[in-house]
Amino acid sequence: MENGQTESDPKDLLFEKHVNYVTNHGNDKNDFEYTMTEFLRMSGIYWGTTCLDIMGELDKLDKLSIIGFIKKCQCIKSGGISACEEHDPHLLYTLSAIQILCTYNALDEIDVASVGKYVQSLQQPDGSFFGDKWGEIDTRFSFCAVAILALTNQMDLIDVDKAVEFVLSCGNVDGGFGSKPNAESHAGLIYCCVGFLSITHNLHRLETEKLAWWLCERQLKSGGLNGRPEKLPDVCYSWWVLSSLTIMGRSHWISGEKLKEFILSCQDTETGGFSDRPGNLPDIFHTLFGIGALSLLGYPNLKKINPTFCMPEEIVEKLYKVQIMDS
Amino acid sequence: MHGRLKVRTSAEEAARKKKEQDLKAKAYRIGMDKIFSLRSSESFGSELLELTGKILSVNPDLSTLWNIRRECILKMTEENKEDSTLFDRDLGFTELCLQIQPKSYGAWHHRSWILENSPKPDWDKEVNLCKLYLKKDERNFHCWDYRRYVVKKANVSAEKEFEFCDDKIQKNFSNYSSWFYRSQLLPILHPHESDQSRPISEEKLKEELEIVITAAFTDPNDSSAWFYQRYLLGYSDPKFDIACFKLIKQHMIIAFTKAVDLNRDKISIFIDNNCDSQWMAISGNKSDCIWINRGDFEITDEILIKVTHADQEYSLTAKKYDKSAVIGCKLPSFGYEFGIAVKEELKNQLESCNQLLEFEPDSKFTLLTAALLMRSLDRFHYHEETLEYLKKLQTVDPLRYGYYRDLASKWILEVKLKEFVESGKYEKIDLTALDLTTVYYNQFLVIANEIDLRENPALNKNSCKFSLVEGCNVSF
Repeated sequence: MENGQTESDPKDLLFEKHVNYVTNHGNDKNDFEYTMTEFLRMSGIYWGTTCLDIMGELDKLDKLSIIGFIKKCQCIKSGGISACEEHDPHLLYTLSAIQILCTYNALDEIDVASVGKYVQSLQQPDGSFFGDKWGEIDTRFSFCAVAILALTNQMDLIDVDKAVEFVLSCGNVDGGFGSKPNAESHAGLIYCCVGFLSITHNLHRLETEKLAWWLCERQLKSGGLNGRPEKLPDVCYSWWVLSSLTIMGRSHWISGEKLKEFILSCQDTETGGFSDRPGNLPDIFHTLFGIGALSLLGYPNLKKINPTFCMPEEIVEKLYKVQIMDS
Repeated sequence: MHGRLKVRTSAEEAARKKKEQDLKAKAYRIGMDKIFSLRSSESFGSELLELTGKILSVNPDLSTLWNIRRECILKMTEENKEDSTLFDRDLGFTELCLQIQPKSYGAWHHRSWILENSPKPDWDKEVNLCKLYLKKDERNFHCWDYRRYVVKKANVSAEKEFEFCDDKIQKNFSNYSSWFYRSQLLPILHPHESDQSRPISEEKLKEELEIVITAAFTDPNDSSAWFYQRYLLGYSDPKFDIACFKLIKQHMIIAFTKAVDLNRDKISIFIDNNCDSQWMAISGNKSDCIWINRGDFEITDEILIKVTHADQEYSLTAKKYDKSAVIGCKLPSFGYEFGIAVKEELKNQLESCNQLLEFEPDSKFTLLTAALLMRSLDRFHYHEETLEYLKKLQTVDPLRYGYYRDLASKWILEVKLKEFVESGKYEKIDLTALDLTTVYYNQFLVIANEIDLRENPALNKNSCKFSLVEGCNVSF
């Protein structure tokens, strides 16, 4: 079989194993992998909490210490939040922190107004966003910016119309989106742009037919999805592609059944957790996106996930109404 | 973590590795502590550069360390802003990092920061560097995107870039990134003579079609060239226009080819030169194709509808249909109208595709392209045949079964819509037993009083927005 899949691959979700995998992640603070990934710790915690929440096991993690950690990561000067203490604030980790706080219904634990000001300070005259003060521009940051402001109800702090124009200027003739104007289409960045348009209620400005065809062509014989033409499948694209198709009302353009088989074949039967492809080492990032995609596919005993925010629907519903197209 | 194979190791081996990793983790911790303490004492100098360099060369995704390097460079060049030594050194350093991790956002960004801040940036050198990196990995999108950025700075002409891009394709047809770049460069080099909605000139289009089909036939299972072929054949999403208009005593309805947000998209609607803003989206959403204006209206002989959108004006004349309605409708453009020479080429290609299908009857992209070619030649003449091809695609490419079903529904609607609009009889449209899954162009149907959709068992009723319009009777 293609890409290392074998007949003995698991056919069901190894629920308990994954709960243990996520819960035990980071128990050994001196572990090499854990130490070397501290630069994205805040996102790591978001992946873990969201994953457990979707599986209905959020109480396995220590809420108070997580909130305490986030508080320590907010930069007093800028209002932005960093991946871990002593590291610099960035929109990527600010969004992760806000998502975790929303999950715990604890937004009031930090200075949300200064987070809003931080986001506002990063918008550029052309509508784009810097990721931090060092000036990198990317549509990922446009998504982070509006996602943060939507969840904290501060959207009026930025020029939304300009932000929309910038994201649309990153659209390509194949219907997809890249990281900046004229950059190649890529499923991860397409998710950011489609998610951005879902948050700002501008999905009607997409070339839906073209884009959804490009996205459904990401599915390979193995059932897995890749991120660009002629690339290998990867569990994280199960999320980026399927969530985009779901937002556009076109998830029926791929085979959910085959995708489910592929995702399940990427489980680590010993340790729990999901890897990018069958037979590879698992990590917490692919574990969330595997579980998240299974939730979108309606897998039993998982909470419904919101395709735009990648958080439980029950939490998003209370905070913000995203736009989703009819199928 | 991507592409890391899980390998079985003996307990001994695992213990040895653990020990090694523990040492590395410890060294990392010590290094980071030292870095942060130097930073907080504002000791921005060569020691900090060296320490951050050691860690970044192993893990170039550590964005904070790049920030610290930038702080060092800015501080250390404060006195002598003309000296580019430090900047040049960091260019060398990022190159090293990119060799380890060619997809590191942090390293690519640092490189552009260096060049933007250096007193002597050498943009030409950057163009050459991209050449080198794209030789190693011709699909590295970071590098392609970086290339587009430095090419602009170095004032490399589109012609020159086209040469580079063409060379890449000639060396390996399976290079979506390069076909993609080609689709950006051609409209600059060979714009269409008169029609702005067409990306490239007819003459160039014919040449491109010849090139791409050769590439596609070289390996029919590789999708890269087929995507480009579909791009050349034209759009699948309609351009903005007025679709139709209907006035009865109780309301006016206007529909557009695409959904719009009348409040935010800067669109004005003029009915007999009066601009009225009382339009509501039929679905109640912010954006919609169908908008309604309720009131008390008079049935007149003729109504002129003008719409302005993005500096363009669109118009439609509606005529009195009967004593209770004034109706206007525009048949949409379903695709490009090609000239004779291009059509000749499309015919040849269709023939070639059909020949290939004799040997490889299940070749998915050949089937789809053959259907698209037929539609580009004469969508109505070839209608039945194109539907046969889609049916075949449902079995040879079952992953996308849902897509082909929807596409067939779309093409069927195009035929039905053409008949409906050209007949001039708008009371009723018969769409029974067509195996529809969804109703494309549904906004055009709001002018009908009766829409018969019975015997379409797989139909998704959500797609039938016209059922929200009062006086539009739908049978499922």
